Amino acid sequence: MRVALSFVMLLVAAGCAADPVAPIPAASESAWFTDRAAASGLHFVHVNGASGRFFYPEILPPGVALFDYDNDGDLDVYVAQGHPLNPTPDPSAALPASTAPLTGRLYRNDLQVRADGTRDLHFTDVTEQSGIDARGYGLGVATGDIDNDGWVDLYLTNFGPCQMYRNNGDGTFTDVTRQSGTANQPGFAVSAAFVDYDRDGWLDLYVGNNVSYRLDNHTVCPNPAGVPDYCPPQIYGGRPDRLYRNQGQGRFLDVTAKALVGGKFGPALGVSTADFDGDGWMDIYVANDGEDNLLWLNQRDGTFAETGLAAGVAITAEGKPEASMGVDAADFDNDGDEDVVVAVLTGQGMNLFVNDGSARFRDASTASGVGAQSLPYTGWGTAWFDYDNDGWLDILSVNGTIIAQEGRTGQPFPYDQKKLLVRNLANGRFESVGSRAGAAFDLSESGRGAAFGDIDNDGDVDVLVANDRGPLRLLINEIGNRQHWIGLRLIGETGRDMLGARVAVVRKDGPTLWRRVRSDGSYGSANDPRVLVGLGMSTESPRLQVRWPDGRHEEWPAVPIDRWTTLKRGSGR
Amino acid sequence: MTRPFQALCVSVTLAAAVSGGCVAPPSQPTAALAPIALPDLTRMAESVRTQIQARHSALTALIVRRTTPPLDLSNAYGDLGKLLLAAQSADVAEACFLNAQTLNPSNYRWPYYLAQLYRTKGEPRKAQPLLERTIQLHPEDVAARVWLGDIHLQLGRPDAAEPQFSQALSLQPNSLSARFGLGRAALAKNDYRGAVSYLEDVLARDPKAASAHYPLSLAYTALGETTKAADHLRQRANHEILPADPLMVEIEGLLESPQTYETQGIRALEREDWTGAAEQFRQGLALAPDSAALHHRLGSALSMMGHTDAARRQFEEAVRLSPDYFLSQYSLGVMLQADGRHRDAIERFAAAVRSRPIYTEARLRMASSLQRTRRTTEALAEYQQVLSGSAELTEARLGYAMSLVQLGRYREARDQLIAARQAGPDRSIFTHALARLLATAPDDRVRDGQRAMTLVQELLTKGRTVELGETMAMALAELGQFERAASVQRDLQATARKAGLANTVASRLRVNLQRYERLEPCRTPWTLEEMP
Repeated sequence: MRVALSFVMLLVAAGCAADPVAPIPAASESAWFTDRAAASGLHFVHVNGASGRFFYPEILPPGVALFDYDNDGDLDVYVAQGHPLNPTPDPSAALPASTAPLTGRLYRNDLQVRADGTRDLHFTDVTEQSGIDARGYGLGVATGDIDNDGWVDLYLTNFGPCQMYRNNGDGTFTDVTRQSGTANQPGFAVSAAFVDYDRDGWLDLYVGNNVSYRLDNHTVCPNPAGVPDYCPPQIYGGRPDRLYRNQGQGRFLDVTAKALVGGKFGPALGVSTADFDGDGWMDIYVANDGEDNLLWLNQRDGTFAETGLAAGVAITAEGKPEASMGVDAADFDNDGDEDVVVAVLTGQGMNLFVNDGSARFRDASTASGVGAQSLPYTGWGTAWFDYDNDGWLDILSVNGTIIAQEGRTGQPFPYDQKKLLVRNLANGRFESVGSRAGAAFDLSESGRGAAFGDIDNDGDVDVLVANDRGPLRLLINEIGNRQHWIGLRLIGETGRDMLGARVAVVRKDGPTLWRRVRSDGSYGSANDPRVLVGLGMSTESPRLQVRWPDGRHEEWPAVPIDRWTTLKRGSGR
Repeated sequence: MTRPFQALCVSVTLAAAVSGGCVAPPSQPTAALAPIALPDLTRMAESVRTQIQARHSALTALIVRRTTPPLDLSNAYGDLGKLLLAAQSADVAEACFLNAQTLNPSNYRWPYYLAQLYRTKGEPRKAQPLLERTIQLHPEDVAARVWLGDIHLQLGRPDAAEPQFSQALSLQPNSLSARFGLGRAALAKNDYRGAVSYLEDVLARDPKAASAHYPLSLAYTALGETTKAADHLRQRANHEILPADPLMVEIEGLLESPQTYETQGIRALEREDWTGAAEQFRQGLALAPDSAALHHRLGSALSMMGHTDAARRQFEEAVRLSPDYFLSQYSLGVMLQADGRHRDAIERFAAAVRSRPIYTEARLRMASSLQRTRRTTEALAEYQQVLSGSAELTEARLGYAMSLVQLGRYREARDQLIAARQAGPDRSIFTHALARLLATAPDDRVRDGQRAMTLVQELLTKGRTVELGETMAMALAELGQFERAASVQRDLQATARKAGLANTVASRLRVNLQRYERLEPCRTPWTLEEMP
């Protein structure tokens, strides 16, 4: 943020950094979300290089990140970029008009908040001065502070080796892939997640690898009529995932063989980390495309046991593995444990796995209505988020087919679908509300990555959507802050966002709400690590209990509502 | 769903329609029919393009005639719709079926195909009334009832699903899909005993219906019967239990394309109709001679028919066309391994693993051939690689221990076998291997004849094999009971002769007998031939 106004200045006092109350802006009744990408300077158009050869990676990107790289209190944007994969480029394959080089792009958020609470949201492309040189075929991105210096770092997943960029704290980044030991050779990862699995205070890294595809083993999969199209991942076969242990200061060691024992890896597309069995140690959930999903339960000795099938979270209740892509974990039913939602193919219906608190899950896809409402969609980026701040987590998925839509002869990449927004009815059921959410939900695009966070710091969750061979969309939430909320940033002593920390929002007039600090989940994307909790119409200041990733507990007796507050570890009681 | 033809079929003049693939129907006594605009055929296989164009021309001719009876016109629309449905041109197929239905509302096929089309597109609410209409017109249609029950389950209505499955079952008492549906409906209603009853019945009638294992395991878990739950979980596989569906089977076989012949061939393989499968793959290859997949599948069918040389030629052709075609590389490796050509087999398995690093079967086979060519350190690494992903895999654990034995690392081998015996599901395999090692290991610190004998006696209570008899003789010799060892060995020789066992076994038995007769114990746990 170039002009720091009082709204987001952090005042550290008694462990709380409090902001003035922002007035709830008037919003149009007709639009819950409005796309402000172009208006705010996000003129990014993704290039997948598709030229009719159907190279497998073309169907997967791009991921996107919301992260505050310059520590100015607002969320900046990184988006992965592709390029033509054809070794002998087809000159007739037109690329979208763009002045930017075909590399991943970093956009700085120059948010201005005026005294009356109105906002001016503007992004500036700072890629060149940032030192980020992402020339690989970008697929996704993960964010986390690998060296505990208080500056968030960037991990880029590619078709090919991955790249680790260390944040220098001065607006620039340094490629530390080699020094960090996280290249993930030969590579082909989409989603990755930072997680402190061994409670040593350093963020470790799980990399979900997709398939054993190379351009020289490329093949095309025609439909029954012989029309060529992209192949399913099973044609190429899954590639083992990797777990890198941070040995300190961002130097990682590949501990896959020792730590991940007994799981059959599949073509991973989504990764979400959470403490699923409530033992205080972080576990890892992996969404595999067309094969069993994995639940790596932390054994508290540096190893994990793969328990997905026995836990009831690997396949549907009917016994079918589905084409799992985007994934997220959160407590949608407000019973204190982490439930899982997985986006899948058209005709399969999203999977909703309800946790009983001990990492035993029940497939509630059908009973909840989520499955039926999502049947027409092939979902990618997805997340639990409370779009209307009523205290109940809803679901959004961005969608796009993997089989070309018929009758689109003039369209270069006919794989588009509308987005899906389903509202939590607070009784275990969900209703589809996308048709009421505004024009942005009428757009049919090839949605892939989606990152969730409060981009304009106004107290509700916005969504950044990345489209395959299409423009970025910035869906600004226009209705969330009509209800009350608290915004929390949970940091450690060094200023690092404490990924994996859980916060209980204890209310007198409603159930306790459990939320988690996370940047992972969704699809190839990194979310706002801050926690935004909707409180509905309640004006009561709730009591907060925080369980830090190392198992320690702290409490804050009353936290002001309708503003962002920073909770620093060690400053509670 | 109804977007394409309005957009594409701008002109409805007949001349333009015929030449441009856009047919405007004549006035009909019934409601107006939708114009049909063919999808883009240019990217389809030539044979399919020809089929669709011919069917479209036939329809056009009937429309032009204007005196065509509605029933004939309905069939012509429906026939074109079926081809387009098979070609996955669902939008145009939909228009065809709607017209067919308008012209002949009493034909149950058209609402059925429309329902399937909507089901595939993830629109169960549109499919539901069409399946109900199908059943109304064709009450004995089992497939329609099963699919309708399925849709009710998808929409969270197990109470509505149940009568559909029940009626399907009363129409076709052997229907597995109806039973499977009833089991799933019971599970959705938390009627776990009912679910167990139906799903156990499915498996009793067809043990290959492995999809039933998982919901059955869920039902047993809910009932607290954890042993049964675990047992079914272990057996779970993804093998769909679908209704016999003649209308959709017809669709699957309609197109004359390599993909259709491949699919049909795979269906024949599933029925164990090897000759039929080979015929389908040959027809596919006539249209697509460069398809590695079709060559591989033909090779598989020929192999099942016992035509090994012909099968080998097909696999070789597949890898010539596509060196990364790992399935054929694997199949060739297996053939070479069976011929004892381990060095060549290793090359094939390595190629398969290069293409697909988590191809466990190929890696295990490669490790075995590496052992046999005394490249034991490499074999050990391959077994280790497999174990990193599948720690409980018996072949890998045993192979790993055997490699350690081959490398003279007897203590590590013993420890591995003890651990596997405690943790693994195939306890007796590891018990036997451990007994053999304790009886014969050249390392004095590892050998323990008494313990070996105890383990052998434990195994003898479960069954007797020549190999176990050999281990018993080895343990006896280790305990200094050479006469008894020699006696056991002679009995084994007689048994082996009677059973016509291979010369290698006879030779091994003879060598060890001579050893015991010389009052010498055995110090070779396994010969190279005995290695897994």
